[in-house]
Amino acid sequence: MAFLNMFSRDKDEPTAMTADDRLSLVLSYQRSDIDEKKIKQFRVRLIELCDDFGYDVVGQVEVIPQSKDRKTIINATIPVKLKEPI
Amino acid sequence: MNRSVSITVTSGKGGVGKSTTVASLGLGLAQLGYRVCLVDTDIGLRKLDLMLGLENRIVYDLVDVIEGVSTIRQSLVRHKEYNDLALLPAAQTRYKEEVSPSQVQAIVDQLRSEFDYILIDSPAGIEGGFRNAIAAADRAILVVNPEIPSVRDSDRVIGLLESANIQRIDLIVNRVQPGMVRDGDMLSVERVQSHLAINLLGVVPEDKRIIRSSNTGEPVILDSKSLAGKAFSNISRRLIGEDVPFMELESSTIITRIKRLFHIA
Repeated sequence: MAFLNMFSRDKDEPTAMTADDRLSLVLSYQRSDIDEKKIKQFRVRLIELCDDFGYDVVGQVEVIPQSKDRKTIINATIPVKLKEPI
Repeated sequence: MNRSVSITVTSGKGGVGKSTTVASLGLGLAQLGYRVCLVDTDIGLRKLDLMLGLENRIVYDLVDVIEGVSTIRQSLVRHKEYNDLALLPAAQTRYKEEVSPSQVQAIVDQLRSEFDYILIDSPAGIEGGFRNAIAAADRAILVVNPEIPSVRDSDRVIGLLESANIQRIDLIVNRVQPGMVRDGDMLSVERVQSHLAINLLGVVPEDKRIIRSSNTGEPVILDSKSLAGKAFSNISRRLIGEDVPFMELESSTIITRIKRLFHIA
């Protein structure tokens, strides 16, 4: 198995699993002029916002733009827990 | 018919079947008794003359009209069989930059008195040639292939058409392969339409007979054995306002029926 993994190790993760998801992603990037830099800034601000509201971010923050009916919807997944009282 | 309608057929991406669509829809509308003019705005890379088998009849072209070398009437090439179908060819040895949107608009405005439908074949891209092609459009038809690069370009084109105040934009999904859609290897027509969110005017299946038709100069709509030809015929009827149901895209032969029975097609 390790031998087989050697060949796939360097492969990038696909940006989406199906052609439809990929199209949705591609269109939302185009329609809202979003790029990776903007998404990274978005993520940082969301973490700051959680902190302001008393939450600790406990996992990977995901910001995924999706396209539906010529509108872009930005989905954010933020795993959090309430801050421990000091 | 009270008023002439000008329709630009466009796509953004090249090679999706714009000229094939214009040639077939032009013939389809002429078969239905309308006076139709096809305007090729792909200056430097004209194709419509070949699609219609009229390449040997061209004397003057669009640029000659603009430069005053010929009149519109002198430059129109009538179809051999359908006299109500005319072509205003593009120049083959000139450049798109030599024509401006207002000049194309002036020509189309002159054609309105003589024709019920003016179909404008747009070049690929979104630069000057595209601007020329949409300058005089009352409506637009977007030809899209069910693949991501084509849909993405079309989405961009919809935005440009909307900014140009073209309110009515219809969609033709061309070169659909039902087998690939079934296997999940091609986007479905429904998904393409859902993403672009414009009215679906027609669905044209991939058809090898189209290659034959462009080589012989007989638009595929004249080929009674072609499913794509039948699809274009239906689209022509929808264009004039008829309510035509969407057809089954796969020809159902005994072999395909048996294959489907055993889930191998």
